[in-house]
Amino acid sequence: MTEKAYPTPKAQGRSKWLRSLRNDSSLFLLALPGVIALILFAYLPMSGLILVFKNYNFNGGIFGSPWAGFDNFDFFFSSIDSAIRATRNTVMLNVLYMLTGTFFSVALAIALNELRSKGYIKITQSVMFFPYFISWIVIGAILFSLLDFEKGIVNRMLEGIGMQPVDWYAHPWLFVVVLVLANIWKSAGHGAIIYYAVLQGVDTSYYEAARIDGASRWQLITKITLPMLIPSIILLTLLSIGGMLKGDLSMIMGVTFLNPLLLPTTDIIDVFVYRTAIRSGEFGFASAITLYQSVFGLLLVLIANKLAGWYDRDSKLF
Amino acid sequence: MVRRNTFGALLALVFTLTLVLSACSSKSNEGGAAESSSPAAASSGAASTAASSSDANDASKADFSEPVKLKLLFYTGQSKRMAELASNELKDLVKKEINAEIEYVYLPWSEYGGGKTDLMLSSGEEFAAYTDINYLSKSVSKGLYADLTPYVDTYAPDLKSNVAAASFDAFKQNGKQYAIPVGNRASSAAFYSVMVRQDLLEEVGMTTIGSLADLEQYYDKVHAKYPDMIGFASTDATYMLMYEYTDQNLNWINNFIAVNEAAQDDKLISWYETPEFKKYAGLMNGWYKKGIIPKYAVTNQPQLMSDWNAGKAMFFPGTATRPIEGIAGITKAVPTAKLQNYFLSKNDRPKISRGTYNTAYFVSANAKHPERYVAFFNLLQKNQELYDLFTYGIKDKDYTIDENGRVTKLTSDLFLDDWMMMNDKFMRFEKSVPDDFIEQYKHWDDDAILSKTAGFNFDNTAVKNEESKLNGVFTEFIAPIASGFVDYDTYFPKALDKLKAAGLDKYIAEYQKQFSAWYANKPKS
Amino acid sequence: MAIRENRTLLIFFYVFIGVFAAICLIPFILAVSGSLSSEAKIAANGYSFLPQGLTLDTYKFMFGSKSDEIIRGYLNSASITVLGTVSAVLVTSAYAYVITAKGFRFRGAFAFFAYFTMLFSGGTLPWYILTTKYYHLNDTLAGLFVPYLLNVFLMYLQANYFKSIPHEVVESAQIDGAGHYLIFFRIMLPLGRVGLVTISLFYALQFWNDFFLPLMLVTDEKLFTIQYMMYYMMANIQFLASGNASRISGALIAPPLETAKLAMTCLTVLPIAILYPFLQRYFVRGIVVGSVKG
Repeated sequence: MTEKAYPTPKAQGRSKWLRSLRNDSSLFLLALPGVIALILFAYLPMSGLILVFKNYNFNGGIFGSPWAGFDNFDFFFSSIDSAIRATRNTVMLNVLYMLTGTFFSVALAIALNELRSKGYIKITQSVMFFPYFISWIVIGAILFSLLDFEKGIVNRMLEGIGMQPVDWYAHPWLFVVVLVLANIWKSAGHGAIIYYAVLQGVDTSYYEAARIDGASRWQLITKITLPMLIPSIILLTLLSIGGMLKGDLSMIMGVTFLNPLLLPTTDIIDVFVYRTAIRSGEFGFASAITLYQSVFGLLLVLIANKLAGWYDRDSKLF
Repeated sequence: MVRRNTFGALLALVFTLTLVLSACSSKSNEGGAAESSSPAAASSGAASTAASSSDANDASKADFSEPVKLKLLFYTGQSKRMAELASNELKDLVKKEINAEIEYVYLPWSEYGGGKTDLMLSSGEEFAAYTDINYLSKSVSKGLYADLTPYVDTYAPDLKSNVAAASFDAFKQNGKQYAIPVGNRASSAAFYSVMVRQDLLEEVGMTTIGSLADLEQYYDKVHAKYPDMIGFASTDATYMLMYEYTDQNLNWINNFIAVNEAAQDDKLISWYETPEFKKYAGLMNGWYKKGIIPKYAVTNQPQLMSDWNAGKAMFFPGTATRPIEGIAGITKAVPTAKLQNYFLSKNDRPKISRGTYNTAYFVSANAKHPERYVAFFNLLQKNQELYDLFTYGIKDKDYTIDENGRVTKLTSDLFLDDWMMMNDKFMRFEKSVPDDFIEQYKHWDDDAILSKTAGFNFDNTAVKNEESKLNGVFTEFIAPIASGFVDYDTYFPKALDKLKAAGLDKYIAEYQKQFSAWYANKPKS
Repeated sequence: MAIRENRTLLIFFYVFIGVFAAICLIPFILAVSGSLSSEAKIAANGYSFLPQGLTLDTYKFMFGSKSDEIIRGYLNSASITVLGTVSAVLVTSAYAYVITAKGFRFRGAFAFFAYFTMLFSGGTLPWYILTTKYYHLNDTLAGLFVPYLLNVFLMYLQANYFKSIPHEVVESAQIDGAGHYLIFFRIMLPLGRVGLVTISLFYALQFWNDFFLPLMLVTDEKLFTIQYMMYYMMANIQFLASGNASRISGALIAPPLETAKLAMTCLTVLPIAILYPFLQRYFVRGIVVGSVKG
């Protein structure tokens, strides 16, 4: 589709390595605003990581406070059982969110792409996005009105069809299902918009050609639409892998109110930090654990990036 | 090979860059610290004592010659009328009285005792805000609060005479005044009473409650009439039921440690290991099984509070002032609601006062004019006229007072919250408050004793680790037992193992050591 | 055969999308109906699909006492969203172009430089000290969007769109003597329009929804955004309902009303719900025009 404006070059040999310095310098300039933003709001504040090894006090400030060595990690290692459980829960929930979220986002995007009625697409697409705006506190209240043991709508329906009511808030493993569903509900629409936009950019001539060859609708989806989405799926997955050890405290707080009976599966790292270190006011402990999350995330993403590179060089993040 | 090299180089580049950057920022930070270090130094440690003694020598009279700007931090939000008042009448008044201009800053409650308040303190901003004992001891050990000792006598003479000395003591650490109590109200036996819906009690033909048996009878009767109502709208009855499960007079320093106020010794009690805790957990478990505590309480504690406010609950832990604080919320849903405090089987055990349940203000360590903040706090409780202005607004515009001294508010806008300001000497009751309540309130503190722990503050440096771990064990293993959600006999042995593994013994030993040392040196009254 | 298969599949897609959309809509119906109910009824019966005791009291109350603030909140949110989105999209797409520029030796380095910030952060304290004491962004309008000018996630998303543009296009332009500026502004931006539309949408939402920057940097009520007002209220509800307030003075402070909470939810989401279909049409048209032109 671009051939008209920019005819294919006849000679392709003299390309990359002849790039002039002037060209590269203009690239640096284009990146400059972004680089400044990153330095000001991300890299300079990173000097605060030093606090992990310090005993922060006001008079000393960030650099003058006494060194604490690895004291701040003591807490983490001395409560290693809980730390391992928290890590397991975080990874487990995030993997489940990622798998189910991606599946539903992609499925919704493909389905939207197949629909013909413009008005229907427009309305449903807007509506799907709604949950993204609702705070977890409100979602928690709504979930409660659905799942409450005595008055919840779900249990009343179960009783209606002659089944035993379920105490959802007392079964940690059952509640994982609730969390996964809540996450799909809140974020699948958001993901679908990204994938749908990717599909909007796909050249329609691919479909026409395939249709002339007699491909069925299902074949169009599996042979064209899905492959078109793969690079984006890989990208989004790669981007989320780094955050695998980070959890959503506001979600767990809003939906479970830190219900002790559910902690065996909902005690993610951020919750663990909140109910131990932060409640005691020990921010040194908290930042030590944040550092652990980041380093572990970096390792994960380096590995994943390598894997993506083997699959397809262009899919690499860096 | 080539690619691996570039990648290594890249990592190196990034890390060098970060180091360089942090070096730069370190310089700039130090520059900044130097700029603002003079007031910080002045207010910290020895320097401040020197400064203060010279102050005291110079004049026992307050010095308001220099005009200053102060920043007051409040939580919740600012009402329209308060904003108007702050930029008109209050502005003139404060200017005239203490030659200061006040900036009233409002933050959401989530930032109280942490969050942005912590950031503002740690980054050395100048302001004052209210605090509690826990937040105070945390912040003082980090050097975040200004020592206000030198200014109290000179700049807050009225406040000092209008607020109980015990309240001042409660906010001291190592003999220094780190926060100024504002307000003076009956505060003994907080949470030791049961606040009952008196209208319901009378509706089912009862008049009063004097024991656990009465309370349960009240529940049964109301439950028979209104099966949808819940009984207890909270998950903690440790204080309230104390009179039923022990003959001692217990008081709690924190979740883990109790003292017996009836005994004249310095012994700390490891609360969860006592037979009393077992008895208490059994009572709560009974309540939970019976439905007095609703099943949903395990997960949805905020709902308890909403149910209480919606008039759908029967009783709640009480304090001297809660019946008037809480009534406004309920009468929106149930106009006929009445609240009344009762003690269960208290007999002649004296009420315990900690002196801490009055609001206190700290001033940030960096403040250039801590004395002027103190002078401002003085205004809040100086006399009836100013108290009325800060609490109720302008007479005949925002409120009226009838011949009995009862107040009627003409606006729903709040000024400074009255729970914060409440002072027995100045407070006014609304027309709806029954006379017998006022009578009870006036004599509330009559039989109160000051806790032997009042004024003691724990330095947790040696057991930070244990404290954090114990908090974790508490939320997961102890809280469900203490609230009766699970059965003591089945779950406690494991919970105790967890507590021991988290270092409970070491924690209590450290606490005992510090407390004994403090107790031995305490001036006997 | 082929046609029948198509039809069942198509019906399935319609139903699938419809059901999902309906599930997403339910909470809104609950919120809207709740905000139109009377407080006493809500307190007694909980949420419901139809308003209980239909009344506009909640809105009257909110607009009666807070109308200026609400309107100012909307204006602030709108200006931050527009200013922020325009500048962020430019900064982001330029950066994205650089990390996709074929043959550029440091593109991996730039990509990593950005990615690294997704993993590591120095915490709020140094960030707060820098933004308030050194950049002086507190209580300024700029402070409400400048810190978010480069969202690394969206930058990667945009880079992904740039990657899908055939490299020959760029190469031929280079042979014609075009520099990077020309290529970026004249070729990549127009051709990457689908991506730009998507990331602008996300940036707009991010700026509209943000409450962290106002919370950290703003104490002047004149700069409150509508979302921050919402956060403010929710934070108060959570704090007061959790009973933490009794730590301070044993005080029993009544939290804001349930209906007010729901009305506030509606007020923050409503503009998006109303504008989204229009913006979307505009976006979709942009995409279509872009691809026809290309």
